[in-house]
Amino acid sequence: MTRIVVVDNHGQFTHLEHRALRDLGVDTELIDNDTPPEEIDADGIVLSGGPDMDRIGHSPAYLDLDIPVLGICLGMQLMAAELGGRVGAGDYGGYADVTVSIEDESDPLIGSLAPETRVWASHADEVKELPDGFERTATSEVCNIEAMSDTDRNRYGVQWHPEVAHTEAGEEVFENFRDICAGD
Amino acid sequence: MVEPTAFIDEKIAEIADDVGDANAVIALSGGVDSSTAAALAYEAIGDQLTPVYVDTGLMRKGETDQIRDTFDYMDSLRIIDARDRFLDALSGITDPEEKRHAIGEQFIREFETVARDVDADYLVQGTIYPDRIESEGTIKSHHNVGGLPEVVDFEGIVEPMRDLYKDEVREVARELDLESIIAERMPFPGPGLAIRVLGEVTDEKLAVAREANHVVEEELEEYEPWQALAAVLGKATGVKGDNRVHGWVVSVRSVESRDGMTARAQELDWETLQRIQSRITGENENVARVVYDVTHKPPATIEYE
Repeated sequence: MTRIVVVDNHGQFTHLEHRALRDLGVDTELIDNDTPPEEIDADGIVLSGGPDMDRIGHSPAYLDLDIPVLGICLGMQLMAAELGGRVGAGDYGGYADVTVSIEDESDPLIGSLAPETRVWASHADEVKELPDGFERTATSEVCNIEAMSDTDRNRYGVQWHPEVAHTEAGEEVFENFRDICAGD
Repeated sequence: MVEPTAFIDEKIAEIADDVGDANAVIALSGGVDSSTAAALAYEAIGDQLTPVYVDTGLMRKGETDQIRDTFDYMDSLRIIDARDRFLDALSGITDPEEKRHAIGEQFIREFETVARDVDADYLVQGTIYPDRIESEGTIKSHHNVGGLPEVVDFEGIVEPMRDLYKDEVREVARELDLESIIAERMPFPGPGLAIRVLGEVTDEKLAVAREANHVVEEELEEYEPWQALAAVLGKATGVKGDNRVHGWVVSVRSVESRDGMTARAQELDWETLQRIQSRITGENENVARVVYDVTHKPPATIEYE
């Protein structure tokens, strides 16, 4: 069975990421972000959202592991910041109902959601510049980079919250990530 | 999703095993979680369990009577009338977190008295999985009997639903034949109407909140909201029968949600909204206006404080 761990960066929705995976039948576990990277035994990692870039623990180190990583909200932002991109305050806070346009239909994480999807968001900051090797895979009127992928290294980020009930195709994002982790 | 029948059998055996011949107490709030935990524990150990319901005076209209009816089958049920003590404890407090704290403290005092009286060694709680995660968050402090174990030296704490989500608890409650009114009941916060009146809790504001919440729940039943409520915000000017009034502003909120983590403000008919407005201003002479809250969560929370 595919095993995916969820790293808790103190986001209020973290446990819903755990639940979404559990409901898909994935072997999953919620782990603290101070878990040493060498103790992680999984086929994939989800970096949860959270309130503060100063409380991300060992999250940057998990980016060096040789397994797929999905960053959600702050998880995506820390991925961008660590890998050479830039994060800053958005002009417009992204809250609740946002319509996101999918830009790359072949993207393994969110391509199947094309042409657009309605999501629930909750963020003030956003990714301003992509790190090297990443492509923008989705955008919206309130946030330029809604999602990014580096398919060579299997690093993925979404700015919205696929784990909450109000996000339309949230479960599909986790299914796609499960498939990526299973190597399908 | 949990399989209710198997879950119930397993937990009844587990609770009976944990508690043995000792006595246990549970704080019954009337909400789904504590009701389900109490029903499970009562199946397991019968009258060795003392369910305690504290009437704080912060409950909704008719709620205490309804609890008395629903749990009438438990001979050991205790209903404590603590209305005056809670109002005293809240007097002069305006900060939301301090209000929650004062209620929590008073609750522990009430509960402690019973726990000592029945010589309870075990505490049963309706803790669910998100409670365990959220308790480390900083959005709002949770009201439960979390501080109780520090006051009373229990031998153990029994939390049969600690791995379940809210919708799963409802499945279990249904299987336990808890009246549908409990299983389908809207979530109601631990501090009750105290956090649906902004600022200091007074008899007058509580009375308005109680009546307005009753109207909202009744009028919005057909919309099947996940949660619908009314909150007393502050005062504003109105005119009633040629007289200027400086009366309360009542906000109406109705949301749909799966788990309370995110919520969408419901789109209601103008006529329904007008009927609610008319009933609340008509039945309460000290209410000057009624507003409808259109904010989703996030950025707003479902409750006001």
